Amino acid sequence: MNWPHSKSPLGGAFEEPEHDGMHRLGPMQRISIPRRRFRDEDVVDYVIVGVGSAGGVLLQRLARAGFDVVGFEAGPFWDTERDWVSDEAGSHNLYWNDLRIIGGKDPLALGSNNSGKGVGGGSVHWAAFTPRFHPSDFEVYTRDGVGADWPIDYEDIEPYYELLEQEMPVAGPAWYPWGKPHGHPYAPHPMGAVGDALITGCTRLGIGVSAGGPVAILSASRGDRPHCIYRGFCIQACKVGAKASTLITHVPDALKHGAEIRDTSMVSRIEIGKDGRATGVHYFDAEGREHFQRARCVIVSGYAIETPRLLLNSACPGHERGLANSSGTLGKYLMAQAGNVILGRFEELIRMYKAPPAHALTEEFYETDPTRDFARGFAIQTVGPLPIAFAKQMMAAKGQWGWGLRRSMMDYNHWAAFGLLGEILPWADNTVELATGANEKDRFGLPVARVSFNLHENDKRLIEFGKNKTMDVMRAAGAVEVVQEQRFAHLVGAARMGKSPHDSVCDKFGRTWDVDNLFVMDGSVMPTQGSANPGLTIQSLAARTADYLISNHSAIQSGAKRSLEEPGIRKTLSPPGTFRSGIPHLR
Amino acid sequence: MNSLALFDTSPKALVKFVPPPFGGLVRTALDHVRHGRFQRSLSLMVAATSAVSALEVGYEHYRGSYSNPVMYTPVVLSGALAVASFAAVFSRRAAQTWMRWLSWITLLDGVVGFGFHIRGIRRKPGGWRMPVTNLVMGPPLFAPLLFGTSAYLGVLASYLQREEDSETGSYVLDALAVGRELTGRDDWRNDIRVGRFQKHFCIVVAAYTVCVGAESWYSHYKNNFAYRVQWSPILLTPLLSGAALGSLKSERVANTLLPAASALAMVDGVVGTYFHVRGILRKPGGRTKPLYNTLYGPPIFAPMLFAAAGMLGMMAYLVRRERSR
Repeated sequence: MNWPHSKSPLGGAFEEPEHDGMHRLGPMQRISIPRRRFRDEDVVDYVIVGVGSAGGVLLQRLARAGFDVVGFEAGPFWDTERDWVSDEAGSHNLYWNDLRIIGGKDPLALGSNNSGKGVGGGSVHWAAFTPRFHPSDFEVYTRDGVGADWPIDYEDIEPYYELLEQEMPVAGPAWYPWGKPHGHPYAPHPMGAVGDALITGCTRLGIGVSAGGPVAILSASRGDRPHCIYRGFCIQACKVGAKASTLITHVPDALKHGAEIRDTSMVSRIEIGKDGRATGVHYFDAEGREHFQRARCVIVSGYAIETPRLLLNSACPGHERGLANSSGTLGKYLMAQAGNVILGRFEELIRMYKAPPAHALTEEFYETDPTRDFARGFAIQTVGPLPIAFAKQMMAAKGQWGWGLRRSMMDYNHWAAFGLLGEILPWADNTVELATGANEKDRFGLPVARVSFNLHENDKRLIEFGKNKTMDVMRAAGAVEVVQEQRFAHLVGAARMGKSPHDSVCDKFGRTWDVDNLFVMDGSVMPTQGSANPGLTIQSLAARTADYLISNHSAIQSGAKRSLEEPGIRKTLSPPGTFRSGIPHLR
Repeated sequence: MNSLALFDTSPKALVKFVPPPFGGLVRTALDHVRHGRFQRSLSLMVAATSAVSALEVGYEHYRGSYSNPVMYTPVVLSGALAVASFAAVFSRRAAQTWMRWLSWITLLDGVVGFGFHIRGIRRKPGGWRMPVTNLVMGPPLFAPLLFGTSAYLGVLASYLQREEDSETGSYVLDALAVGRELTGRDDWRNDIRVGRFQKHFCIVVAAYTVCVGAESWYSHYKNNFAYRVQWSPILLTPLLSGAALGSLKSERVANTLLPAASALAMVDGVVGTYFHVRGILRKPGGRTKPLYNTLYGPPIFAPMLFAAAGMLGMMAYLVRRERSR
């Protein structure tokens, strides 16, 4: 070895993964993907449209319970070692990049990190913050006279929170003081410099702060998933396998129990039979050919934009305004959260890319405070924008361009960023509709979604207050220059659940009021959204609905009267290894 | 008495310089140690170190989220050993049964843990090809062996005589010893019983010091030796382990360099503890986040492990050498 002129890397090169016909999920997990199991003319028990956060959990649960399930996914089935790159620009194919029309006074920026395409859905590129909703989130209207009440209480979903925190698993402090206090099954993460800044700022202002979670990233290895190595590419899809996504937590177990995932298959329409019940779904395969898959029950888990779009596109005689839209609320009450990014420049090095974006937060301002002039509240969280995102933020925050922007970017290592996460209330004029223009169709000729978004007085006040509070924290942490960019995060709503068929699309288990074997189960069922990231709640609701489907299976299949009792939690449906590891914690 | 030596520095000679009020006490204590009659006090020490070990392994494994159920074993075992060795302070039977067997099991657990830690580093991305990164980021390599130290002392204590045996003048109170008296066998256990195990103990001191020195080297490497004082344990490691190894060959070294190096290591441990506490308080959030900052700040008990190396060296200096066979 003629070192130092040798071309080979020190210690030898790493081997290429061998071609063994196995599909890789992270560096250690391999699965074999079964070929097609069901034929179009087979009547399967459940068809799930969208295998993302909710779809993945539902698929795994129903498959484990022994049903014939097919999960349709418009995007690809990722092989993480081949398809993913740890690169900002290279990860754009994880998002839903198809045409969408945006409008309203405060239009949302779509086509980036707010909706996924591919097995695992948004959980592939979420930051994995997993705070629970607070008990107050379920009765916003009762308490504050704004927004809406949920048809369920915190107590109904709490056992599912605990279960899903075990299944992902969630790392976080042993005592999380906000909402209903609880612990976490995995230990908190060490801090990156952004988390240090948040803790320092909050401590100096006397604000409580949670260090090291709650975040669904392994702080210690588990089974065939290595722990986090703090590279900071969470949002670009975690190649390490440390960040939980349903692709690696639930989908392998679903396949093992006989579920089928039909990837690159875009469901275009849900078919309604003469008796008013769903009979199956029409879908386009990868080559653009149309097929029809028969099913006894259809579950739509397509996220807050694609779910209403599919239901609207499925309009048919008897459902002229769109499927399950007798109340007229389908596509209304869309919500996003205020996601302002506050950037601060520090004299010392920060290096935002070191550590997951999500590793510390405070929910001190979560609840309604009568001394403030608005209802509800917000959280302050760490975010870790990588250079391209950082450049966009500097452009928006400081109006920089050209040489000035380059100067700022060279300074990247000195900047820290906090994210505001503010609750925006559900308003009827924030909608998802079908675009009507002649060119506003996707490659299958289906009308695309038109998303309108407007901020209201309460939201604007909340954003103003939260933004200033976050800037105060940033200054208290020692930042010498503080700027901010306004943006939004987390789309939910648009097919809300409710207590009555007159003001909601579905009931508390996600069954649509109008079609008794059509379910909606994803972020779009949320009546309000709190200032917590919705991922954990979406998956917990999905697990609860799965229990319900299993309990009432025969009634749902036959259309008989079904019970609306809480189904009772089944702990036997968790993926293997769920209860073997982790810290036994006090609730 | 070697005429070349400036003066005799053996424990026996030095004890004469202790001033009167304590003189008698210290002489008695030294006599106990040199004749292997300190089971009670060593058991008390084992109880204390086991309790600290349980605490430390408890929070270090908490940091690893107990991701493998086997991670509970050292916590449970060292807790049990702490109870058993505390009982051994009061009961000869507990010392010769519970403490002895729990010590052996705990020692075995440390060896098994060493294997698990090697595996843990191997399983990290890059495995042993990126030894430094994965040593720093992975499970601490030598921690399970260091954790076995209190168990080793427990084994040792279980074969000693008790303090009150000096009054009776007889040492045939151990069932093992009775058996030996009858069969005429005379093995290592008897050496321990009469306080003659300096060489054997020096090997342990040398190995322990190398392990604890390696731990401190890569842990301090983690933050680039930001403070010069972080080099002190690394510099003292060859000194102390060298002194311990030298003591195997020469009684002179055992009576000079060994106690001197041991004393330095003990002082260094105390100084290190001060710096580590300061480091925890200086972390963001400081004392408002006591648990979190103890978890991820400088490990609070780690300098004490280094002081323990010094303490073991000191003990090796005090006991008598094996008889030449």
